[in-house]
Amino acid sequence: MLDLLQAILDGVMFGATYALIGIGFTLVFGVMHKINMAYAAASVGGAYCGLLVLVAFKGAPAWAVFLGAFAAGGVLGYLVYLACFHFIPLANPLATLMSTVGMLLLIDEIVVHTTDGMPQNYPAMFDDVMLRAGELSIRGDLLLIFGVGVACMAVLLALLYRTRLGLATRAVSQQPVAAQLCGIRVAQVNAATFVITGLLGGLAGALIGASVGALSPLLTVPLTVKGLIVTVIGGLGSIPGAIVAGLLVGGFENLFQQFRGVTERDLYVMLLLFAFLVFRPGGIFASGAGRD
Amino acid sequence: MDFYYGLAQIIGVHTLLGLSAYIVLLTGQVSLAQAGFFAIGAYAAGMLTVLFGWPIVPALAVGAILGAIVACAVGFPALRVRGLMLVIATLAFGEGVRLFFFNFDYQIARGDIKVGPLGGEGFRQIRYFPENGWTTFEVMLFIWAIVAIVMAVLWWFDRSRYGAVLRAVGEDEVAAQSVGINLTAVKVSAMTIGGAVAGVGGGLYAHYTTHIEHTSFNILVATFAIAYPIVGGLASVFGTLAAVVFVQGFLVEGLRFLGDWRNLLFGALIVLAMNLRPDGLVDARVLGRLARVFRGVRRA
Repeated sequence: MLDLLQAILDGVMFGATYALIGIGFTLVFGVMHKINMAYAAASVGGAYCGLLVLVAFKGAPAWAVFLGAFAAGGVLGYLVYLACFHFIPLANPLATLMSTVGMLLLIDEIVVHTTDGMPQNYPAMFDDVMLRAGELSIRGDLLLIFGVGVACMAVLLALLYRTRLGLATRAVSQQPVAAQLCGIRVAQVNAATFVITGLLGGLAGALIGASVGALSPLLTVPLTVKGLIVTVIGGLGSIPGAIVAGLLVGGFENLFQQFRGVTERDLYVMLLLFAFLVFRPGGIFASGAGRD
Repeated sequence: MDFYYGLAQIIGVHTLLGLSAYIVLLTGQVSLAQAGFFAIGAYAAGMLTVLFGWPIVPALAVGAILGAIVACAVGFPALRVRGLMLVIATLAFGEGVRLFFFNFDYQIARGDIKVGPLGGEGFRQIRYFPENGWTTFEVMLFIWAIVAIVMAVLWWFDRSRYGAVLRAVGEDEVAAQSVGINLTAVKVSAMTIGGAVAGVGGGLYAHYTTHIEHTSFNILVATFAIAYPIVGGLASVFGTLAAVVFVQGFLVEGLRFLGDWRNLLFGALIVLAMNLRPDGLVDARVLGRLARVFRGVRRA
């Protein structure tokens, strides 16, 4: 029983990173009704760029690396927008799907090329701290991930619901034409969405690197899949949904890793997804029988 | 010369993979499950020839039928959802199939070695072609004969009433439904045909590589399956063929002299191609121009 609780607890903590990645997918989908398949790759790419801080300043503290990843993620987000969305007509969803897949492969290859495919060690914070609550223990670095993840989500929600940019973003997501008629620059809002999700992604990438202890280009495809699953379970375009779904998937996955082994783990995550698709196709917080 | 025959085999099998996604894309559905049907065809055909000593053609036929049955079964629940939800549902199915084969053992002893699929080790020694003395050239001819048949059938579908119905559903579901088209029947039938084509392709793939494992059917393969028709354009089956030649012939083999840089260019060229030609390499205009040239030649 204790093992079970501990496994779920660790999983939920790590699930905060899935939640961050899921938010990135869901935000872009909400605003542009497009999937950005390159998002997880750009996040990991941002985390790699954070390592450049260590190259430039020997012995820089871990938070400086995280900050570097945060900034680099934003830049990468903008580049992805320019390369994959800006010049392609909006009415062509297949073309942007494909261009972002191309971008995913490109970012992966740039990473492999510059690091010779070797996994890179990633600095962690609080990895020697162990909190105890009765019989249960909480790893300090996982707690940091969870804390930063929750803080990011709070900032994002404030940004969306308390600022003019957030108002414009929500307007574009509801009615792009009407928003344009009100004088909102749609292209600018779209670009801003990509920069914001990119910033989040860079941070998520750095947190993942810190908790795993190393970064590897092999992370991108599983992260893309998990992020998409979180997006669907949470309901497309729903930020609270993505947060809850991320934590749920994290806990669920770690539970089955504990009891069924690492090779079967993802099979159960897929089953969870199928259960949601069949019984709640609109996601966790769906109001009615909303599909698509 | 064998190198070029080998390349032609790869292009042939990938064309089948692309065509299986092509027919589903015509109805406006993006399916990432094609790698799953490809895997089912590959394992089924491989097991029939290796473990039960079947000849290749019936083994491929069984692979195709199994692919079609599974595709039909997946089609009914999965096509209830649309758009991004379908992409992810089919992606989850494809990954589920891969993980199934990752945990799948079925070995029997033949002589002093054991043959058959063995979980993460994969399925080795699918040696039907070498054991029966087929040369690389003959294998290539066999593969391309099948590709030609499948392309001819799909091309004929495209020009028939059925093709018009598929495209009508792809263009506008509500309009198609309002003229009395049964959306579910159309989508599931397209999915079933796609599953059969992917099953045949998988069977051929298992036999020319002689070794398959679960990583041969990962998301990247599923992505390639939809990439071919999208990069090539949905105007005609020849778009898919052109895209496979562009990707496998030019991007993968043609740029080999660039060494490491080839992989970098690969993604960049796909991004560039979609920016410059969002409707695919062979879109309706190119097709019209080709048709005019062709007609002009015939008249002269």
